[in-house]
Amino acid sequence: MTAVDTTTAPVSTTPATSRKPGERRFGAGRIAALVVLILMAVTWLLPFAWALVTSLKSEADAGATPISWLAPNGYTLEAYENVLGEGNIPVWAFNSLLSSVIITVLTIATCALAAYAFSRLDFAGRKWLFFVVIASIIIPPQVLIIPLFYQMLAFNMVDTYWGLILPQVVAPPMVFILKKFFDQIPIELEDAARVDGANRLRIFWTIVLPLSRPILSAVAIFVFIAAWNNFLWPFIIINDTSLMTLPVGLQTVKSAYGVQYAQNMAMALLAAAPLIILFLFFQRQIIKGIATTGFGGQ
Amino acid sequence: MSDFHRLSRRTVLLGGAAVFGGAVLGPSLAGCSPLGAEGARPLKFWHLLSGGDGIVMAGLVDAANEANPEFHAAQTVLAWGTPYYTKLAMASVGGRAPDVAIMHASRLPGYAPGGLLDPWDLDLLEEFGVTEADFPERIWEKGIIDGDLFSIALDAHPFIMMYNTDVAEQAGVLGDDGQLVEITSPEQFLEVARAMQQVTGRRGLSYGYLGDGAQMWRLFYTFYKQQDAEMSLEPGEPAQMDEDAAVTALDFIKQLLDGEIAATNGDYATAVAEFVNGESGMFFTGVWELPTAVNAGIPFDAQPIPNLFGTPAAYADSHAFVLPHQSEPDEAQRREVYRFVASILKGSFDWAGAGHIPAYSPIIESDGYADLVPQAHYASAADVLNYDPPAWFTGSGSDFQTYFAENVQGVFRGGDSREGIQGFVRRLNVLLAKPNPVA
Amino acid sequence: MSTSAVSNRAQGTGVALKDSRQSRRRTDNLVGWAFFAPFGLFFGLFLIWPILFGLYLSFTGTTLTGAGGDFVGFENYAEALGDADMWRSMLNTLWFTVLSTIPLVLIALIMALLVDLGLPGQWLWRLSFFMPFLLASTVVSLFWIWLFNPQLGLINDMLAPFGVEPIAWLQDPQWAMHGVVIATVWWTVGFNFLLYLAALQNIPEQQYEAASIDGAGKWRQLFSITIPQLAPTTALIVILQVLASLKIFDQVYQMTSGGPGGTTRTAVLYIFETGFTGYRFGYSAAISFVFFAVIILVSIIQIRITASRRPRS
Repeated sequence: MTAVDTTTAPVSTTPATSRKPGERRFGAGRIAALVVLILMAVTWLLPFAWALVTSLKSEADAGATPISWLAPNGYTLEAYENVLGEGNIPVWAFNSLLSSVIITVLTIATCALAAYAFSRLDFAGRKWLFFVVIASIIIPPQVLIIPLFYQMLAFNMVDTYWGLILPQVVAPPMVFILKKFFDQIPIELEDAARVDGANRLRIFWTIVLPLSRPILSAVAIFVFIAAWNNFLWPFIIINDTSLMTLPVGLQTVKSAYGVQYAQNMAMALLAAAPLIILFLFFQRQIIKGIATTGFGGQ
Repeated sequence: MSDFHRLSRRTVLLGGAAVFGGAVLGPSLAGCSPLGAEGARPLKFWHLLSGGDGIVMAGLVDAANEANPEFHAAQTVLAWGTPYYTKLAMASVGGRAPDVAIMHASRLPGYAPGGLLDPWDLDLLEEFGVTEADFPERIWEKGIIDGDLFSIALDAHPFIMMYNTDVAEQAGVLGDDGQLVEITSPEQFLEVARAMQQVTGRRGLSYGYLGDGAQMWRLFYTFYKQQDAEMSLEPGEPAQMDEDAAVTALDFIKQLLDGEIAATNGDYATAVAEFVNGESGMFFTGVWELPTAVNAGIPFDAQPIPNLFGTPAAYADSHAFVLPHQSEPDEAQRREVYRFVASILKGSFDWAGAGHIPAYSPIIESDGYADLVPQAHYASAADVLNYDPPAWFTGSGSDFQTYFAENVQGVFRGGDSREGIQGFVRRLNVLLAKPNPVA
Repeated sequence: MSTSAVSNRAQGTGVALKDSRQSRRRTDNLVGWAFFAPFGLFFGLFLIWPILFGLYLSFTGTTLTGAGGDFVGFENYAEALGDADMWRSMLNTLWFTVLSTIPLVLIALIMALLVDLGLPGQWLWRLSFFMPFLLASTVVSLFWIWLFNPQLGLINDMLAPFGVEPIAWLQDPQWAMHGVVIATVWWTVGFNFLLYLAALQNIPEQQYEAASIDGAGKWRQLFSITIPQLAPTTALIVILQVLASLKIFDQVYQMTSGGPGGTTRTAVLYIFETGFTGYRFGYSAAISFVFFAVIILVSIIQIRITASRRPRS
C-alpha cells in the first residue's frame, strides 16, 4: 500500500509543476502529442456539446433526421422552461443538496473522531477494531442492499430522509485515510496542550482539526461528490417523488408526453450543472482532493 | 422523524431556488406549486402511461380535479414495465405508497395476495356510483382475488386487427357493409392476406415482434385461446398446457411470417410504419395504436382478430385502479380516492379516443360511443377477452413474456414449434417449482 | 512512490505510537471508545448488522412481502449454484470487468503521459478528461442513450461516412455490452487519469536527467523509467478498477435494463431483480454472498499476481 502512503502525505497535496528539462528539443513530437491530446479532449467534450445543442433545439428539430448541429427552427430555451416548469427539478436538487451535506458532515465528524481514536488513543480492543474497520473496506455496499432494505422496513425508514442518509454515512476508507494523516502530526504539539490540562476533545478540536484542514477538505469533497451522485441506495429507499434526489428522480419519473429528446438533455444538463460549476471554480482543490483520497476512497 | 420530514418539505421551494440561482429558475417558480385550490386534498396518483395514453390520462385527471373541489390529484408517470412494477411493490411494502395507482389487471396475482394492495370497499364504491353491474363480467371478475376486489378496470385493451379499407376493397374482400368479410379459417385468412399483398405489392399483413416478448405472446395467446385450449400455472405443479394447440398456433404464425404475407423479422416500429404508410393491408396490433393510425390519415377500420380456430377469443389486458398498501391509511383521504376513481371512470369517454375500450359500461352503452368508429367495431372483443393465465410471475411487462420470447423468437424465425414451446414449458416449470413469494 | 517517502512515514508513525504509549492514561480506554462510538454506531448498524442479517436471510425463504420466512438451510445456495441465469450474470460481470478495465487503465495512462508533457492548456485537459467523472450515472446514461440512438444518435452519424451501417448499440445483443463499456470508459477514465498524473509528478527528475546524460531518448526513458516507476500505481489502479467494475449496476440498469436477452445483466442487477422484482429476498441474499465470494476470489488472485510481480526492494 505504498501509494496510499505517498498520496496521503500532506506534501503531495501541492502538485508538482516543474517540467522535465530538455523537452523543447522535440518539436515534432510535441506537436504530434498536442494533436493527439486535442483529439482526445474533443472526443471527451463531444457528449457535453451534443447534449447542450440538443437541449437548445425545439423538440421537432431534436427528433429530425438527418441529424444536425444546426436547428432549422432556431435555438430556444423552451426545453429548459418546460423542464423547470414541471417543478420537480428544484425539489430534487434540494433533496440532493440536503442529503449530501448531511452525509458529508456526519461522515467527516464520525470518521475523524474514530480515526483520531485509532491514531492516538490506546484503548482496549483498538487493534482488533481497526482491523475490522479496514477489513470491511472490501465489502461492496451493493451486496448489502437486500438486508439493509429489510432493516429499513423494520425501522420504518423507507421513504424518509433518514433512510436515505444514515446508511450512506458509513465510510471505513475515510477512517483509514484520516488515521494515516493524524499519525503524521507531531505528538509534541498535543503534549504541550495536555500539560496545560486540555482534554482530548479540546485538543482534537483546537489543535488536530485545524492542522488537518487539507485532508478534511479532500475527504469532504470526495464524500460530497459520491453522495451527490449516488444512485443505487437512494433509488431503492425512496419511492416518494417529492423525496427523491436528482439522479433518482431523473431516472424514475417520466414525462406523460412521451420521450422528449431536448427536454431529456435539458434535465441531464441541469442535474449536472451544480457539480460542474463547482468544479470550474474549485478545480484545483477538487483535483487535489480526488488524487489525495483516490486510492483509499474507491 | 416526521418533524424532520415536514420541516424540509416546507423549505423545498426556497432550497431549490438556492441551488439553481435566480436566473434559470425565475420563469419556473410559478410552476413550482402543483397544489390545487384551497382545501383540496392532494392525492398522489401513479401510472405508467406515456405518449398518446399519457396525454389523454392527463386530460382525464385535469377534468376530474376541476369537477371535484374536494381533491387535487397529481400524477406521477414512471417508466413502463418492470421498473414501474418494481417501484410500486417497493413503495407498497414501505408503507408510504401513493394514494392510488394504475396497474395491469394481469399483474394482480403478483401483488394482491402478498398484501401489497389494499382491497376496495364495495359499499363506498357504490356510494360514489360504481357497482359490479357497471362492468362486463370478465373485466370485473379479473379484479377479484380470493373474494376481495383489488382492482377496478378503467379499460380493456385487446389485441386486435386493423385493416386498410382501400386495400381491402381493391382486393375484393370488403363486404357490402363496408367492413371486411368474415374470415373463419386459417386458410381463408391466408387467401385474404395474399390478395391484399397483391394489391399493395409489399405486404399483406404487418406484425412486429422482434425482441418484443409481449407482442409474440399477444398473438400466440389469441390463436391458442381460439382453439379453446387451457393453460394453468399452479405453483408446485408442472405447467398445464395444450401442446398441440400451441404448436398449431405457432405453425400458423410461421406461415404468416413467410417474408411475403408478413415480414419474417419485423420489429414493432417497422410494422407500425408499414401499415400507416399503406404498404400492407392488415395489421395485428394493440388498440393503443389507434391514434397513430388516425393521425396518419389512412383509410382504415378495425375489428377483433378473426376467429380462425372456432372459439372467439382475444388477448387483452386492462388498466385498472388499485390501492397500494398503506400502513396507516387515512379514512378521509381514502374517501377522496374513491371519489377520484369514480370521477375518472365516469369521464372515461375520452379514454376511448386513445383506442382503449372503456370498462365502465355506461360509457360503452352511450349513444356517443356507438358513433365512434372504428372503436365501436372492435368493442365486442371485450366479451371474449382473455387475460394472461394467472400466476405471480405473469402479466404485462413481466418476466413471463421475456421467457416466452427467449424460447419462441427462434420459432417465429423458422425454428421448430414443438421444441420452442417445450422449452418455454420447461422454463415455466422452473418458476413453478420455486415457492410463490406472494402466497 | 519513492522509498524515502515510505520510510519517513514509517518512522513518523513509529514515533507517534511510541509517544502515545508513553503518555497513556487510564482514561484512554473510556475516551477512545467514546471517540469511536459515533462511527461505531453507524458501522455496526449499517454495515456489520446487515452482513449478519443478510447471512441469516440467505438461509430463509423470506420475501419482499414478508411471507415465507422459514429456515430453509442451504436450499437457496443449492438453487443459486444450479441457476443458469445467476452464472450468466456472474460471467457478464467478469466480461464487463475485462472489457472496461483494459481501456480504463490504458487510456488513463496515455492521457496522463500526454498531459504530463507540460503542453499548453493544462487546465483544459484536466477539465475535459475529468469532468465526466463528476456526473451522476443517470446523466451519463441519458447522454449515451441519446448518443447511441440508432436513428438520431451522433455516434452512428459520425460512423456513417466510413460506410458503417447504423448500429443498434444498446438493443443489439452483440453490441449492448460494448455500448455500456464505451459509456463507462468515457465516464470514469478521468479518475484513473488523475491518479496517474499525481504519480507521474512524483517521479524524481534526477532519474530522467541521469538517463538523458546516458543518452537515452524519450521513448527509451518512457519504457525504462516512467512505466516501471508507475508500476505500483498501475497495480493499485488495476486492483481498484477491477473492484469498481465488478460492482457495476447503474449504467446497465439505466441504459439496457440488463437486456437485450440478458446479455448485459450483471451480478448486482441480478441481485436487485431477484430481490425487488422477483420479491425473493432470501434467495437474493444468497446470491449476494455468492457474488461476494467471487469478489474475494478475484481480489485474492489479483493480490497474488501483484505480489509475485512486484520487485522486492
